[in-house]
Amino acid sequence: MTSFKHLIIGGGVAGVTAAETIREKDPSATIAVVNDEPHALYSRVMLSKPNFFLGKIPFDQIWMKGEEWYKTNNITFLGGKTVTALDATNKSVTLNDGQIISYEKLLIATGVRTRPWTIPGSNKKGIYSLRTLEDGQAIMNALKGAKNAITIGGGFISFEMADLLNLAGLNTTMILREPFFWQPTLDESSGMMIEQALTKAGVKILKNAEVSEVIGGESVEAVILKDGTKLPCEMIITGIGIVPPPWDWMKAAGVAIKGGILANEYLETNVPDIYTAGDIAEYKDLILEENIQLGNWVNAREQGHIAGLNMFGEKTPFKFVSFYTTQGVGINIAFVGDVGPGADRIIIPRGSPELNSYARILIVGKELVGATLINRTSELTKIQKLIENNVDVSEKYKELSDPNFDLKGLV
Amino acid sequence: MSNTKEYVRNRADSKITKIVVDRDLCIGAASCIAVSGTTYELDNENKAVVTGADSVDDATLIMSAESCPTRAILLFDKEGKQVFPK
Repeated sequence: MTSFKHLIIGGGVAGVTAAETIREKDPSATIAVVNDEPHALYSRVMLSKPNFFLGKIPFDQIWMKGEEWYKTNNITFLGGKTVTALDATNKSVTLNDGQIISYEKLLIATGVRTRPWTIPGSNKKGIYSLRTLEDGQAIMNALKGAKNAITIGGGFISFEMADLLNLAGLNTTMILREPFFWQPTLDESSGMMIEQALTKAGVKILKNAEVSEVIGGESVEAVILKDGTKLPCEMIITGIGIVPPPWDWMKAAGVAIKGGILANEYLETNVPDIYTAGDIAEYKDLILEENIQLGNWVNAREQGHIAGLNMFGEKTPFKFVSFYTTQGVGINIAFVGDVGPGADRIIIPRGSPELNSYARILIVGKELVGATLINRTSELTKIQKLIENNVDVSEKYKELSDPNFDLKGLV
Repeated sequence: MSNTKEYVRNRADSKITKIVVDRDLCIGAASCIAVSGTTYELDNENKAVVTGADSVDDATLIMSAESCPTRAILLFDKEGKQVFPK
């Protein structure tokens, strides 16, 4: 039986950062990374960026680590393999090729999967989602032959993909089930700002709309909406959320799972010597004092780093105010901290859609928990600090609502 | 010409004397800020700007550049040699 001191399941940024962190701390420990994709670490972030798709960024820029990096650092890379069984008592995993590998410390950083679109006709060619390099390449190829494209969903993927399709010269229609963009995470004013920017750029938006059927032969030719409207299209990109990866092997081994793998602030699961990090981790957030699961590059990288330290034996809590930003069609959007809707949240508007600069500060009790920022990304780090330092802002609503007040004054 | 911004670094214990942010490549993912919050901030165009070029040691600075998912941060030594990306 092959054996590694540190076995990492998942070759994305969380898993590889963990491997890198462990190697920096321990030059001789044996480390292996199992990845369902055959690739060395690449930038999943770049997959949704128009500059990459349109060739403004060279394709090779996508590689974050070459295969030689694993060799140089004496990290065994097992690409194109998945786990089929975990024996937490004897501390070993079985891979899909039958290989059994024992471990001392195990990290599960498999990421998540895109939610499949399941309506009549949704198995036709020309329908894409975006997770892997192959997904990205398939979309790049499809751009060349298509004239009409549709995006499904009202979130980051749909926003970035609509921008991209539109820039590539396709007639682009975004179909939203919701009454406005990014409901319920954003309010109607923020959603309208984004919709106006998309519309101005040339993207058509259909709200309160849903596809009931995809029409065509082998390939997509049109969609039929629930109200009967028929829209011709040769390609569809869905961005309708995430689902867990195949995880029966984790459940069978007794790893506690909810929306993701449950972990404490050290990213330890309920099973000794098994850790988790990245999009699949539902961890105890020390700042927000609740269990949260986040899907973004920065968070995954930071968690990989902390998981690596803990696996090495340097006990370190994960304490980080996460954020996500995106830009396109002349607008930029950032989410900081916890931006989920909830009756307990007081929301303070800062700026306005008329000023084309609008933030919403979310407060629970006396403290900030999150913010949504449109064209105000320069305030991201200041808001992050206000959340991190648990600053009492109960007497500061006036300052928070004044778009010209420098938030540094509150930190 | 690419749209870059250069920042001088002047730290006695450092080999790196210049930080360059390629604003065409930068997408505001802000992983650099997560690694080194005292070095960078985002501006209102959602691009990273250097506000504390001397605030961290070389190891942290290199890690912040390495974390960038679009390789928009370039580091140079005093001979003008590119330290990162290699």
